[in-house]
Amino acid sequence: MSVPLEQYLVVGAILFVLGAVGFLTRRNLITLFLCAELMLQGVTLNFVAFSKHHGQMTGQVFSLMIITIAACEAGLALALILVLYNSRRTLDVSVWQDLRESGLEQTIDTEPLPAPADEAAMPRLQEAGKMPTRRRGDSYV
Amino acid sequence: MLTFSPQAIADLQRDLLAFLPELVLCAAIVLMLLIRLFPATGRTHLGGLALLAVGGALVVAWLQWTRSGSLPLPDTSVRYFTGLLAYDSLTVFLRLFLLGFVALAIVLTFFTHIPDSEDSGDFYVLLLGGTVGMMLMASANHLLMVYMAVEMASLPSYALVGFTKGRRASSEAALKYVVYGGGAAGVMLYGISLVAGRFGTGSLTDVAQGVGAALATGTLDVPLALGLAFIFIGLAFKLSAVPFHFWCPDVFEGAPAEIGAFLSVASKGAAMALAGRLVLAFAAVAPEQAALAFAPVLALFAAVTATFGNLAAYSQTNLKRLLAYSTIAHAGYMMMALACVNTEGMSAVLFYLVTYLFTNLGAFAVIALIRNRTGSEDLSAYAGLVYTAPGLVVAMGVFLLSLLGLPPLAGFAGKFVIFSAVYHAAADASRPWLAQIYWALFVIGGLNTVISAVYYVRALKVMVIDKPPEGVGDRRVPFAAGSYAAILAMLVFVLGIAWNMLSVASERGTASFPAPKATVAAKG
Repeated sequence: MSVPLEQYLVVGAILFVLGAVGFLTRRNLITLFLCAELMLQGVTLNFVAFSKHHGQMTGQVFSLMIITIAACEAGLALALILVLYNSRRTLDVSVWQDLRESGLEQTIDTEPLPAPADEAAMPRLQEAGKMPTRRRGDSYV
Repeated sequence: MLTFSPQAIADLQRDLLAFLPELVLCAAIVLMLLIRLFPATGRTHLGGLALLAVGGALVVAWLQWTRSGSLPLPDTSVRYFTGLLAYDSLTVFLRLFLLGFVALAIVLTFFTHIPDSEDSGDFYVLLLGGTVGMMLMASANHLLMVYMAVEMASLPSYALVGFTKGRRASSEAALKYVVYGGGAAGVMLYGISLVAGRFGTGSLTDVAQGVGAALATGTLDVPLALGLAFIFIGLAFKLSAVPFHFWCPDVFEGAPAEIGAFLSVASKGAAMALAGRLVLAFAAVAPEQAALAFAPVLALFAAVTATFGNLAAYSQTNLKRLLAYSTIAHAGYMMMALACVNTEGMSAVLFYLVTYLFTNLGAFAVIALIRNRTGSEDLSAYAGLVYTAPGLVVAMGVFLLSLLGLPPLAGFAGKFVIFSAVYHAAADASRPWLAQIYWALFVIGGLNTVISAVYYVRALKVMVIDKPPEGVGDRRVPFAAGSYAAILAMLVFVLGIAWNMLSVASERGTASFPAPKATVAAKG
């Protein structure tokens, strides 16, 4: 039994729209970028379905390229998230509104994201450029 | 054992020669990354190497432009790398434009010291990587290449915007750029999937045939129209066309001024070239129907973009933010020429881009130099600048008045060429309502120039008439840096008087696309 093209496209469209809605409404930086990835996965499904429909490899090549580029983008985004987190100690996007039109009021957050877990309890990474040493009591889970 | 036919080897040779400017940059990028690995050379400033590579690529591109060498003719469009890229005069023109800009921008970084020796490797690798992406944008001939090139131009830009990572504004700008950019790329990709899936191929040649046929027979169905619309939304984001402009002011305010120049000139130029290539490819198949379908949409976007940009710039107090809105407005002017949907309009875009290169780079250079002295980019930091740095104020005056479009400066020539393209399009329009759209565009363009005078002249007034603020410090810039701005100002001046050569070059830039019938009739 073969699945018709339309059904693939519908699932692809649903994934894309779910991603887009999450992208527009989520405030957690990591979830935000995951939603952007979800949009791309919807597109990838489209391409694979079209590839099957036309009986050629163009769509497959497209999806391979998309996955690669999405990985690059995610890498860059995660590095940026790290910088942002180090600066403000929160993953909430709504704290980042210093750049805006003059005269425009800051958006007040009525339900702030829950505070992050106790930082002292989190596993610590070694500083870059040093030989790793293991201190007593450190956990590397 | 693998064997290659002589034809395949000859093709590969031709393709690599056509791709040579990009290859030079790629080699330089790899070299710069390797140099960083060695402790002895890890801390050297790599600006010289980057400039050398860009210079080398520029020479190759110049040889391609003048057709001295064993390269295929630029006037006839050649598809290379199995049709993924197009090598024609538009490609080579944009290569020269982008490489010339990047060379000047690298020289600017020598004066403003934005990447110090330690960070220089990262900075120039990202800068050259972004440039390669933009050059690919200008020559993409396949929807896969369109997406890859846009991403390849965007990703380094995201990192460059957040390059001064100690500054919170810079990080915030990078965040906004990545978030909006990622979303726009996703939307564009969805459009590509619809269009490529519809025709079973991503090749722009085949897609243009399909879309042209659909336009000619009036069978443009919803998925195809939606796909095209999504692709143009992605491009509109890169062009910062209203309503996809909201990232632009924040990103420009947060990013270093040098990167602002890079985004406003190189990125816009590449996106314009890509949009123009798409529109002209459709117009080559069905000229009249393409004009009827695309002109109203493009004209609407152009008019709204230019008007909004100019109105929003009016109340800005941060000079970089002001220039961001000015960039939006100028993208609107260029889209007016694009709305002509013919080669004359595209030539006008190319012409405008070159005048805009010197003007806007100069303006951002002055901002960067003053920032280095005062640490501020607010307009108030420029008050009474004429008493301490008169030369710099004259240069900035030239840039601002050129952005305004005052004769005899380059900006006037650019606006003149664009408005005359719109005028001709109105005269040659195939329907009365289309002619009316062009006339409206013509009037809106003129009105916008008048509106924009207010904020450009206000910025000048602050520099010349206002009293210098207390405790602003010494605002004189080093002689070499000042002469850099002076040379750019001189170029803006010269280009505003002697623009014949540029006009010929920009016409040749679109020579590989079929000329509109009316122009052919007028010439022959």
